[in-house]
Amino acid sequence: MAILVDKNSKIIVQGITGGAGSFHAKRMIEYGTNIVGGISPGKGGQEVEGKPVFDTCAEAVDETGADTSVVFLSAKFVKDAVIEAVRAGIKFVVVVPEHIPIHDMLRIRVEAEKFGARVLGGNTAGIISPGQANLGIMPDIAFSPGRVGTVSRSGSITYYIADTLTRTGYGETTCVGLGGDPVLGSTFDEILELFEQDDQTKAVVMTGEIGGIYEERAASTIEKINTPVIAMIGGVFAPQGKRMGHAGAIVEGSMGTAESKLKILEEAGAHIAKTFNDIPEILGSLNI
Amino acid sequence: MRLYEYEAKQLFNKYKITIPGGRTALDPGEALEVGEEFGYNVVLKAQVLTGGRGKEGGIKLARSEGEVEKFSEELFKTKIKGYDVDKILVDPLLDIEKEFYLGITIDRFNYRLVMIASAEGGVDIEEVAAKTPEKIIKINFNMDEKYYAFEGMQLGKQLGVESGKLREFSGFCANLYRLFTDYDAKLMEINPLVQLKDGKFIAADARVSLDDDALFRHPDLAEMGIEKRHEEGELTPREIQAREWGIPYLDLDGYIGMFPGGAGFGIMGNDFIHYYGGKPANFMDSGGGPSPERLAKMLILLDENPDVKAIFGARFGGISRCDDFAKGVIMFLKEHGLSKPLVMRMTGNMWQEGVRLFEEAKAENPGLFERIEFHGIETPIEDIAKRAVELAGEQLNA
Repeated sequence: MAILVDKNSKIIVQGITGGAGSFHAKRMIEYGTNIVGGISPGKGGQEVEGKPVFDTCAEAVDETGADTSVVFLSAKFVKDAVIEAVRAGIKFVVVVPEHIPIHDMLRIRVEAEKFGARVLGGNTAGIISPGQANLGIMPDIAFSPGRVGTVSRSGSITYYIADTLTRTGYGETTCVGLGGDPVLGSTFDEILELFEQDDQTKAVVMTGEIGGIYEERAASTIEKINTPVIAMIGGVFAPQGKRMGHAGAIVEGSMGTAESKLKILEEAGAHIAKTFNDIPEILGSLNI
Repeated sequence: MRLYEYEAKQLFNKYKITIPGGRTALDPGEALEVGEEFGYNVVLKAQVLTGGRGKEGGIKLARSEGEVEKFSEELFKTKIKGYDVDKILVDPLLDIEKEFYLGITIDRFNYRLVMIASAEGGVDIEEVAAKTPEKIIKINFNMDEKYYAFEGMQLGKQLGVESGKLREFSGFCANLYRLFTDYDAKLMEINPLVQLKDGKFIAADARVSLDDDALFRHPDLAEMGIEKRHEEGELTPREIQAREWGIPYLDLDGYIGMFPGGAGFGIMGNDFIHYYGGKPANFMDSGGGPSPERLAKMLILLDENPDVKAIFGARFGGISRCDDFAKGVIMFLKEHGLSKPLVMRMTGNMWQEGVRLFEEAKAENPGLFERIEFHGIETPIEDIAKRAVELAGEQLNA
């Protein structure tokens, strides 16, 4: 089992004829991901990696039954692309590009809710259900099928955690990248609820970082669910008020500090890990 | 991106939000010229990109020619939270009847816009919100709804605006809302929003922050002289160099040079160095898919920093591929050379190709690699962080 994507997902790549789009389409297909086609307005009828290219999402959905999309377009085209996808009936959209205007993300979220779709990102490394599907830019080498779920703001952190889980024999059910932009299509609490419903996920590792508010939003969900949650927060030693690269990582009052996040999550029942090596130790102590 | 008050007021004026109508001055002489137009009854406001300037002595009321001269001279010599004062705004004093607070911002938690108002204007609004939350009134706007006039009128009613002025107040709110949505704003605040003795509303102050990522939609801002800028205080020479090279970089006060991949691990890697008893000299982010040239420049920043005793390198190739990473490191070694120990780990997308490039370059010129300890996926990243702390310690004790 897995959440959000598996071997049966029918996936299209929006921006499949672009540099990043075609490079990662090839990687995803090589992994065994069920890519059924791609979108590139004006290039309908062509093929990329043996998959058909369509001008519009509606055509792709009609022809292939696609239900999932991964977006490789520059930030300014993302709003239109995602709204087109969800209106065409796509139920899950992964937004890889970064620096998407905030007002666009707000609009995307409202539109996705209206059509019962879910959006990941922007600025996400994607999502992988090891052995089944890899959507986005995540390197295969870190991942192996197993029993722990992960959800993180950062791509590189996801790789290190999966690397640790793989090396210690736990493996992963699904690894979800929420993205590093300040306004995100999906939040920790929503992903935790999905993991709670997945029988094979025995524990979840969630990692956040300073700035932003979505870590705090997870607290009430952690209290409610039965699946154990291990939490890590980056930026314990970050200087206050300094901008650390991710558009999202701006310390905003006490709500965004690493201390406040760790405190709230620990009080909600999460197990706190300081380094990646702590994770297998905590899992061991929980008999997972 | 935060705008200067005078720039924010230019935008207000464009959207028919009444402003006091003063002008900026670059020196005390200009301040006197503007002051004369308003009968030397003016407020002198330092134009800096930081809040709380009133408390720092950045706002002065002047009621005579002598005061305008004296206070403006003082202001140009003041530093406000590290910012030089290069420009002051000279606005006429207002006939104030009442002061309000009015703001709009983004509620990221609930994915909507929120208008915030209070009859307690002109003071520290965060303090009002903390101590007397009942005095803060909020209206939420979903992204797929428009602004209706009745909402502003209801808001005015709650703030105690008299019946005859409700329509005008609502119009004021509507213009601010329109400006907010048209210009991709993150925050707009008017504190105080003044009601004059004759009943009219006027924005005595203006704070506007726009979304940097949406500036491509607003070319008219550049025509108004409003250009992309950063919001921090003064930068160090290395931070200035890094910015010119397009690298997100911050100097910290430690001695281990940090050459990580993405920002996420950049932040957490710094924590790891602390956990193992070391101190990072910097924060750095390569950005997604950096070119070899950019990676080489990142290493130059660290190698040329005399505070850096050893370098910690990490690359987990995702959108940033290991082959490009290896090319960048090799370019740096050949063209610049490494003067301090570097311990690094490289794995992820295209790692085989990255390793091949390293081996090829090393066979060609082994001397270049003398100070590098190289690891792959078999070594946990924690061990690399520990080793960097150890290497830096050896250098410090040498």
